[in-house]
Amino acid sequence: MKIIGIWAAVIVVLYAAQTSLLTLIDFNGVSVNFMLLFTVSAAFLRGPSWGVLFGFVTGILQDSTTGSFFGCATFSFMTAGFFFGMFSSRVFKEQFFLPVVSSIFAGALHFLIMIAFVFLLGYRPDFVQMIYKILMPFLIFQVIFSWPVHKLVYTLDKYARESKR
Amino acid sequence: MSERVRRENRSGRKIAALIFVFVAVFCSVFFAARGRFATPVTDKTALLIVSPFQNAFAWIGNQLSFVTDTLSEIRYIHSQNKALREEVEILRAQNLTASEFASENQRLRALLGYKQVATQFDLVAASVIGRESATWSSVVVINRGTSDGVADNMAVVTEMGLVGHVLEAGINTSKVQLILDPRSSVGALVQRPESRVAGIVEGDINNPNQPRITNIPKNADVKVEDIIVTSGFGGVYPKGIVVGKIKDIQNETGGLLKYGIMETSVNFEKLEDVAVIVASREAPPEPIQPPPQTPGTETDPAKTAQEIQQAKLIQQQAQQQVRQAQQQQLQQAAAQNPQPQQPQPAPGGAAR
Repeated sequence: MKIIGIWAAVIVVLYAAQTSLLTLIDFNGVSVNFMLLFTVSAAFLRGPSWGVLFGFVTGILQDSTTGSFFGCATFSFMTAGFFFGMFSSRVFKEQFFLPVVSSIFAGALHFLIMIAFVFLLGYRPDFVQMIYKILMPFLIFQVIFSWPVHKLVYTLDKYARESKR
Repeated sequence: MSERVRRENRSGRKIAALIFVFVAVFCSVFFAARGRFATPVTDKTALLIVSPFQNAFAWIGNQLSFVTDTLSEIRYIHSQNKALREEVEILRAQNLTASEFASENQRLRALLGYKQVATQFDLVAASVIGRESATWSSVVVINRGTSDGVADNMAVVTEMGLVGHVLEAGINTSKVQLILDPRSSVGALVQRPESRVAGIVEGDINNPNQPRITNIPKNADVKVEDIIVTSGFGGVYPKGIVVGKIKDIQNETGGLLKYGIMETSVNFEKLEDVAVIVASREAPPEPIQPPPQTPGTETDPAKTAQEIQQAKLIQQQAQQQVRQAQQQQLQQAAAQNPQPQQPQPAPGGAAR
């Protein structure tokens, strides 16, 4: 229960920091998405089921507190959690490049899912423009913050595992 | 065997649950987008949980942004202050230069005005570039010399009056002895028409700013405030240049003469631009102006002149006609009565 509380607290604090503090360093309104990074790192560390669970929690949190289309972020994070969780048994979890490289793919996946939803909902955004204006700065932010978030999740996961014993 | 089946069942249920969740979330997106699905309780709960942290982070963010804004403002103000200081320095220098140019312009305009008025003089404009440091003498150096046509003993003036004369002309510069110099003596006279008393303006070693006009007879008609002009005696200074005016009149110690203490028309403390009289001639006569006319009886001088001209022409024509008539009469008379030859005049007739 204590571990769940710590996980929840960390997610809430990260989300609050993402929405209140990190917006100060945004680029044309685009900033880092800690929830995605957190989900991907947790998925790498704990497998696809946990990845989906963390994606669900972080996605619900984001969808509930923002005015975007409800469920988009949840679906995207769950998908990312499931996809990257599939590699959990095949990667070295302390590798520096793991979160850095995965953040790029995760960011691109999240962007594609969001664009797909936007298209499915009947909107026709300029794909090329969105790549330049949203995806590129978003990926840069994700890469910059991927390692600290992964380190945090790794430490938390280690602590949770040790506490369980 | 049963363990394996149980594990497979669990895995199958897990996959089914996952698929269910994915599909549910996927569908919820579209339902929510069409307003058919809402999660008000979840939203409120999530906001309730997140908002204190968001407030805290927002406060930290505000403080950070206040600090960064302040720092950037300080940096901006510092650089702006630096730029403004530099601008002030440049503007001060420009202002100084402009003031200097304005002052020079004013002085040169005055000098040019004098040059246009004093048509009897050929003037060479010069600037004072140095002063002798000796306290008992008053000599300045000007930036014109023999190459500019300046020679020794030429008079130096400003638009206000007499300055002195060229003591020594160099190639490009000349020394000018001011009328304040004790060694200077200028032939002068009182400008007032009733007076016209002559004297000599000399520098006073005891009072370097106020020269004296000496050699004035005790009973001469000289008053305070009389204007003194050059007399032209001696050949150095042309006649009629204003020297100054008398401020005070005092008796000489001998008792037969008196002298006047003068205030020069030129301010020698602010002497910057002067003109050297390189040639002098008599002033041209003033153009004849029509006399003032009585109000109410004004006539047009040009029209009157034209009428006079026409009258003169008519008169000349009449005289011509009379002369021709007389000529004809004389010729007719001569033809009718031929006269005898006239005798030669006597030799002494012209002396009478």
